[in-house]
Amino acid sequence: MSRLAIDAVSRTFPGGRRHAPTVALEPTTLTVADNDFISILGPSGCGKSTLLRIVAGLDVPTSGRVFLDGAPVSAPGADRGMVFQSYTLFPWLTVRQNICFGLREKGVAQVRQDEIAARYVQRVGLRGFENHYPKMLSGGMQQRTAIARALANEPKILLLDEPFGALDNQTRGLMQELLLGIWEVEKKTVLFVTHDIEEAIFVGGRVAVMTARPGSIKSETAVDLPHPRHYTIKTTPAFSALKARLTEEIRVEALRASAAVV
Amino acid sequence: MTPLKPISGARKVVYGVAFFVLFVAAWGAATFGGFVSPTFLADPLTMVREGHALFAKYGFARDVALTIWRVVGGFVLAGVVAVPLGIAMGAYKPIEAFFEPFVSFARYLPASAFIPLLILWAGIGELQKLLVIFIGSFFQIVLMVAVTVGGTRRDLVEAAYTLGADARGVVRRVLLPNSAPAIAETLRLVLGWAWTYVIVAELIGASSGIGHMITDSQALLNTGQIIFGIIVIGMIGLVSDFAFKWANQRLFAWSLA
Repeated sequence: MSRLAIDAVSRTFPGGRRHAPTVALEPTTLTVADNDFISILGPSGCGKSTLLRIVAGLDVPTSGRVFLDGAPVSAPGADRGMVFQSYTLFPWLTVRQNICFGLREKGVAQVRQDEIAARYVQRVGLRGFENHYPKMLSGGMQQRTAIARALANEPKILLLDEPFGALDNQTRGLMQELLLGIWEVEKKTVLFVTHDIEEAIFVGGRVAVMTARPGSIKSETAVDLPHPRHYTIKTTPAFSALKARLTEEIRVEALRASAAVV
Repeated sequence: MTPLKPISGARKVVYGVAFFVLFVAAWGAATFGGFVSPTFLADPLTMVREGHALFAKYGFARDVALTIWRVVGGFVLAGVVAVPLGIAMGAYKPIEAFFEPFVSFARYLPASAFIPLLILWAGIGELQKLLVIFIGSFFQIVLMVAVTVGGTRRDLVEAAYTLGADARGVVRRVLLPNSAPAIAETLRLVLGWAWTYVIVAELIGASSGIGHMITDSQALLNTGQIIFGIIVIGMIGLVSDFAFKWANQRLFAWSLA
């Protein structure tokens, strides 16, 4: 069953007096099935974040439409949880209060909120940090809280916009495992934007490669690696072969992007 | 000295006190040494004696109380109206477009220049003094609060929307808590300015208050009393500033850590 349907969505940012309009996204079509984990891989500036923001309802497409469970998307809502690349925890709320933010907006009873928060605190490994403020946490811990905050709302689909982009390599590896572990247990529908090829393969069930700006989806590759995936899978021949193939595809786009700039 | 290198708390206090000591020493040297005529500048001891006399004989405590009440009264009135208006302007662009040009213009109108008009409208009673403080503080608070609220990080607002918040929820549970520390800081600053307006208001058309005492002393060439009055204002300002800082640190611990 298709959960999310992106139907010929494009986005053009209007130009100013001195510059021409920017086409960020060419008409793009993508169908996401229930419990799919799709990685959207593309060179920087290819419009992959724009696509995700349109799905979230934070941006409006110039043409085309997005459907979630058959209903057109027009504004942001709790049914599409999002984790941003920048740290977006509310600094005046503790870890627990941040996780409860969406539940509170929904008017969930306090007792129930605490139960749900406790579950997700446990899931992302933040036991003992419930009453810490975001400023007291490392970047990795902040993003774990952000993931818990999005999941606690029980969205139909989880949107991740380069959530580990600002983290160091080791932390990023651990976060990928954490995210994958959660997905293997909870079976969520996930749209994961990244420019990191290894990351896209490791966490994804399918990798959609985007072209250089103006972006659109160039190819879709199924990742036929078994679950549960262990981090050592990154060194297997199957993984390497996939990585080699996608590297080639992305390289062509990256070259095109840099040629366009020069 | 190394740029931006912090110093210990004890040394900070010593340095801070040292300047006061130096300042009074220089003042003492100039007056006791006979370099400045007592007609123009009283020496520190005379100042303290005059100050004591003010409280003991002339009921200066009442003047101080009245001045504090005027500042606080006018300031609270201004804050009660200005903070909500500033928040509305910062949050909703049409409201900002409607008020902002006028408020920006009014901000440059000197509060003291309104005193003659206000005397005409409100007499020389308490209302006139409160209005001077009100005019002096109101537009500043509105504008600074609006800028603070309008400057809320966009990604925080977007995160709230994706968590299911509506416009009302964003204003109340993102814009407000996010701006609260900066709004408190704005109030602390403007309260400092309000002190300068109240004295001006009391210099003209008043029969009580610290400013009135200063004008009276000028007529008698009593520089000791004038300086004492000025120092009292400084002290009250310092105390209220510390109180504000202390309260802000207590209330908004999350913004410091």
